[in-house]
Amino acid sequence: MTALQAPATPTAYGSARLLAGVTHGGRAELALHRTLHGPQQHRTQGVLVSETATVRLLGRGGAAFPVSTKLAAMRTGSSVEVVVNGSESEPASHKDRTLMTVAPHLVIDGALVVARALGTRRVTIAVHDAAAHASLAQALQERRRLEPHPERVVVRLQQDRFVAGEVRALLNGLEGRAAVPPGRRTLPSDRGLHGAPTFASNAETFAQIALLVSLGVRGFTGVGDPREPGTTLLTVAGDVPVPGVVEVPTGLPLDALLRPDGVHGPVLVGGYHGRWIADTSGLRATRPLLREAGVPLNAGVIARLPEGGCALAEVAAVSSWLAAQSAGQCGPCLFGTHAVAQDVAALLRGRPAPDVTARLRGLVGRGACAHPDGTAAFVGSALASMTEELLVHAERGGCGRPYLGVLPLDGLHS
Amino acid sequence: MRIEVDWTRCDGHGMCALLLPENIGSDAGGYPVLHDRTVPRETMRHARRAVATCPALALRLERE
Ligand code: SF4
Ligand code: SF4
Repeated sequence: MTALQAPATPTAYGSARLLAGVTHGGRAELALHRTLHGPQQHRTQGVLVSETATVRLLGRGGAAFPVSTKLAAMRTGSSVEVVVNGSESEPASHKDRTLMTVAPHLVIDGALVVARALGTRRVTIAVHDAAAHASLAQALQERRRLEPHPERVVVRLQQDRFVAGEVRALLNGLEGRAAVPPGRRTLPSDRGLHGAPTFASNAETFAQIALLVSLGVRGFTGVGDPREPGTTLLTVAGDVPVPGVVEVPTGLPLDALLRPDGVHGPVLVGGYHGRWIADTSGLRATRPLLREAGVPLNAGVIARLPEGGCALAEVAAVSSWLAAQSAGQCGPCLFGTHAVAQDVAALLRGRPAPDVTARLRGLVGRGACAHPDGTAAFVGSALASMTEELLVHAERGGCGRPYLGVLPLDGLHS
Repeated sequence: MRIEVDWTRCDGHGMCALLLPENIGSDAGGYPVLHDRTVPRETMRHARRAVATCPALALRLERE
């Protein structure tokens, strides 16, 4: 098995909503999109706040912040900026680029709903992926011809960088500065793009807003877990029945995605800032539940390693990749992530790494962005859930299984 | 008030750990370790001095 590629066609478990009409391949061009989802509609800010609260819509980027709270905090007016964060800079995640590529109009519909509700015409869609960029640009052309709208929607292709997906780093990048997070914590809703109040959210969040407006509250909540109704996109990787991007009703047991017989080794939930867990029984694809269980879904990556490969080698490879992704602005992050990567490399060769626990603790809360914290979560949980593997490596200097490269390390353009 | 480090500025000279030991320790690289962010009134003078002395202008006091 080699590194996983983005599958040509995403899959839906149950009824496809975001992926309606595209689970057999292809792209929903404007006419098909309108047939599937109906005409573009709008809501006032007040109604949108109340409807997103009723359906408990959470941001689909990483932080899972309630959309209604974010919307309610927004000022309105022509200077407000709406930013669609489609940067998805984690290589294991493909759901946003896939969504923007196969259903670009859903994302644009959602962005226009938010822009109209906030009384602005300024919309920026930031992407890292060339195919998503091309599809969105084509979608905007289709609209110019068939369905002109007053909003000015700009699609921007941004540089590839892990931390650049962080919204404040993204805003810096859009303003032409280095795409790194600023040292002071500011909220985009106060001072965002070009200093203007900015509503920024992940690409899937905007598509979910479009679905909500098209289906109505009752239709939207017709499937899924009552604590986070509807569907969610996930990227499932590794030794699983259906790898790739999937749309599932929330509340689906993770084991249904991993392996129905329930036998499996450590599973990664939440991607490269996520956590490894040895036993997934009882876990369901619902953000509030997973957060309570200590394995936040983050951007929706779930991976299961094949039994024939060396799990520790996968962790070591991602650890050094994470160290290389430190933007190098903050000392504890730069030095700490590199030291931790070296510790994992030592453990892989069966050597001791006595300082690793202290080093992991030294990453928490000590950077301008969540990269050191996320790295500590990834490595710390891997070591905690792979005790058997660690023992074998310590005793024999290795496990004899090959490094398969199941967890992709670049793939940003794949 | 609360003491905050701008990690993008801090050079790890460790001055702050000497001037505000009530809140700040130091790791092996000289970078600050904040064991407590809250600065009580009694040590506010130490905190202000640390903020003013930090050569990288990386420390600030924020309202809680
Ligand atoms: S914490 Fe790390 S990744 Fe984040 S800005 Fe600082 S150096 Fe860069
Ligand atoms: S004095 Fe300033 S530069 Fe030096 S370690 Fe403290 S915060 Fe960093």
